[in-house]
Amino acid sequence: MIRIEHLRKEYSNATPLKDVNATINDGDVISIIGPSGTGKSTLLRCINQLDKPTSGRVWLDDVEITDPACDITEVRKRMGMVFQSFNLFGHRTVIENVMLPPIELLGTPKQDAYDNAMHLLRMVGLAGKAMNYPDELSGGQKQRIAIARTLAMDPDVSLFDEPTSALDPTMVGEVQAVIGELATTGKTLMIVTHEMAFARAICTRVFYMDEGGIYEDGAPEQVFDNPVRENTRRFVRRLKVLEISIQGKNYDFLGIVSDIERYGIRNQIPPTQTYHVQLAFEELVQLVVPNLDDPKLSIVVEWSEALQAATLTMHYSGAALDVTARADKLVNSVLRASASQIEYSWVEGAELPNQIEVTIR
Amino acid sequence: MLPRPHIRPPMTNGVLGRSAQKRYTVIHIEKGMRRSHGLCARSFSTYEGAGLKRMRKILFAAMAMVVPVLLVVCAPALAESTGHSSLQELADKRIGVQTGSTFDAITRESLPNAKIEYYNTYADMVEALMSNKIDGFPGDEPVIQMIQAENPRIKIVDERMNEFEFGAVFPKSSKGEALKKELDEFIAQLKGSGELDNMTNKWTRGSEDEKTIPDYRSLPAPKGTLVMACEGQYPPMNYYHNNEAVGMEVELAARFCEDKGYGLKIDVTNFDGVLPAVQTGKADFAMSGITITDERKESVAFSDPYYVGGTVMAVLGDEAAGGSGGSGFLGGIAESFEKTFVRENRWQMLLEGVGTTLAITLLSIILGTALGFVVFVLCRNGGRIANGITGACMWLLQGMPGVVLLMILYYVVFGSFSIGGVAVSVVAFTLTFGTSVFGLLKTGVGAVDVGQGEAAAALGYHERQTFYKIILPQALPHVIGPFRGEVVNLIKATSIVGYIAVQDLTKMGDIIRSRTYEAFFPLIAITIIYFALEGLLGLIVSRIRVSIDPKRRTKDDILKGVKTDD
Repeated sequence: MIRIEHLRKEYSNATPLKDVNATINDGDVISIIGPSGTGKSTLLRCINQLDKPTSGRVWLDDVEITDPACDITEVRKRMGMVFQSFNLFGHRTVIENVMLPPIELLGTPKQDAYDNAMHLLRMVGLAGKAMNYPDELSGGQKQRIAIARTLAMDPDVSLFDEPTSALDPTMVGEVQAVIGELATTGKTLMIVTHEMAFARAICTRVFYMDEGGIYEDGAPEQVFDNPVRENTRRFVRRLKVLEISIQGKNYDFLGIVSDIERYGIRNQIPPTQTYHVQLAFEELVQLVVPNLDDPKLSIVVEWSEALQAATLTMHYSGAALDVTARADKLVNSVLRASASQIEYSWVEGAELPNQIEVTIR
Repeated sequence: MLPRPHIRPPMTNGVLGRSAQKRYTVIHIEKGMRRSHGLCARSFSTYEGAGLKRMRKILFAAMAMVVPVLLVVCAPALAESTGHSSLQELADKRIGVQTGSTFDAITRESLPNAKIEYYNTYADMVEALMSNKIDGFPGDEPVIQMIQAENPRIKIVDERMNEFEFGAVFPKSSKGEALKKELDEFIAQLKGSGELDNMTNKWTRGSEDEKTIPDYRSLPAPKGTLVMACEGQYPPMNYYHNNEAVGMEVELAARFCEDKGYGLKIDVTNFDGVLPAVQTGKADFAMSGITITDERKESVAFSDPYYVGGTVMAVLGDEAAGGSGGSGFLGGIAESFEKTFVRENRWQMLLEGVGTTLAITLLSIILGTALGFVVFVLCRNGGRIANGITGACMWLLQGMPGVVLLMILYYVVFGSFSIGGVAVSVVAFTLTFGTSVFGLLKTGVGAVDVGQGEAAAALGYHERQTFYKIILPQALPHVIGPFRGEVVNLIKATSIVGYIAVQDLTKMGDIIRSRTYEAFFPLIAITIIYFALEGLLGLIVSRIRVSIDPKRRTKDDILKGVKTDD
């Protein structure tokens, strides 16, 4: 069991981890997901002390790893790590990479270490490469050897730091298969990954990391299908978001329209859909703004890569005003022509209580 | 005697044109190589075979360079020469002067418009004169006479530039003054009996057979042994004959020590190093054709003069004055070879020089490698201040010319210890080689990916285990190639130890040149010996390089003691 309390890691130019608290139980297979730069790798490296945390504490069972008196090498022997860049020892053959650490660090008899290493190599499907040197292997093969090397130490916990990120797409599958098999053996694993489908398939628990900590922690069904929090939802649905705010009757209409255009280009949204979003925006503001004394509008455009659909959500001030109901207006018909679904709702007590959601496919 | 190539091949071997002679040389070398290959073949794998082949190529290239150089160097003998018969004619000419000698001032005084060029030995100046690089060089009368005897093309200008007196040099200490008093008494005694004149005549005009000295090595020495510094390249005052230091000054010193109950040890150093040796107490006194001047009297004490002479100018005589000469190109080479290696068993001196050079080089490599390694390992765990100090020392050592470092160590740092020149040389080159090794290790370790260290740490290796088991084995292959280059550089760099009285290969060559007055042949001979040494050490390093290559291990090496299924 790993316990993390108020872990904080500062670099001179960034603070990826502000306050991390978590308990990892034996047998947990945890996927750590989240946008770049949110400290996923840093969290793993702080757990095995490759990076020293600025403050906070980490325990492995009853041993406080962060205690200066703790012999970290003893802890690391129980905590394996697989790196993005494999880091196999270049001067040692594959078999030596796998069998020498237990001999040198655990005092395992050579014959036992060899037998176990060969067993592991067979498990990762590379027994035939035992006498090769790492630079003679492909990336996927190297990573499978690296996993075998980690397992040879029989660790209680294994940390995987983006194990497939440096691989050719054709080799990702073979490495994922090995990790997936490992996940069924009841070992405790922590895997930083960008492969959502893979994460979802093998893990028992997901950490979504954002804003300097574990932003959402839950079972994969919850985090991937029904995320509780906004950033998680945007991340797992791979949403690209554009936020627009309008205050008062004088606003830069043309500027906003061209912002939407740029947003569309940047996120590779098909041009017709971008055009429809622009139309929906134009019609909605022309319906809403003239009808308000002191208009305050907040508009959010979201593009879901997975669904290939855009939603435009507009919140605005004033009394209940369902502009979509005014079917008589010409502009409204244009709006309906570009959108596949339009919904008005009233949120009582909100700052901007009127809400219109337009879905464009 | 300089080789004197004939324009026409001699009648006796008319068929042997110049190209045939060249071919002869090449065949000879190839035979030599084959022999050495045969000697080593048993223990060498194909890899070293390739190394030998490469070495053979290098030697061929060297010979290809040497042969044309031989021709070029011999050519000046054919060049037009202009005889000068009075000092006036030399007024605005190029004059060679021995560095650190009084001839500098003397020449400036009597020939103020002359262009002065500096040389280290008379042999160099003879060579320069022969190849028309200078028009004349001044020297002490007895010396120039001896040079003329060896080299009939040289003429002495019939006009003394000045008169001078040679005196022994003592440190300005109470011990030095006491010794000086004893020597003054002794010189007065010799003068009184006419013995001093006899000695002067014997060494300047007598035949080689008469020039004997008492055996100073086995003096009883009830009052201790005195160390005399001298140049060892200044006949007839002090020079080497049959590999023994001889000369009028050596005889005077020997007689003096015998008379007063001292033992005597001769320390041979470059002329520039003679006065510092006395000043720092490395030598008790010096006699090395040192002219008594007021300027020198400020820093050292002089005995009464034991020799009075004059400065004369050596110039090139007319072509017709040529004497016996060699018989053609090959004859010239053969004569040079005989003079350099065979006569007076000079090869023994060269062998001794090779031994000294190798000893200094090998010890410096071993100690320097150890030093560089230890400092590197300490610096890995060292604090910022410690590393800063190390960095400053490295910067100082690397930036300093080797000669300066050597002199500082010899005269300043170890000035008050009785440590020999060889030991000081080893210290100096250990330091410089250590900095090189440190730098190489830094580069090599820097070239190993940081991920290697992280992976080892993550597995649970201690920092020390990580360094020795993971980092270092991967850094060494990066290091060993440049290391070979450093070794070769080191051998060459040791050629400066002559400055602190070490008789290494170069210094032995200088001593031989000072007897033969022939600059070229001994230099080439020494160069070839250096090449051979470099090749030898390079081969050893290459062998090490192969043996530390992890990929060279066989399956049996890797899985020793393991029962495999297949």
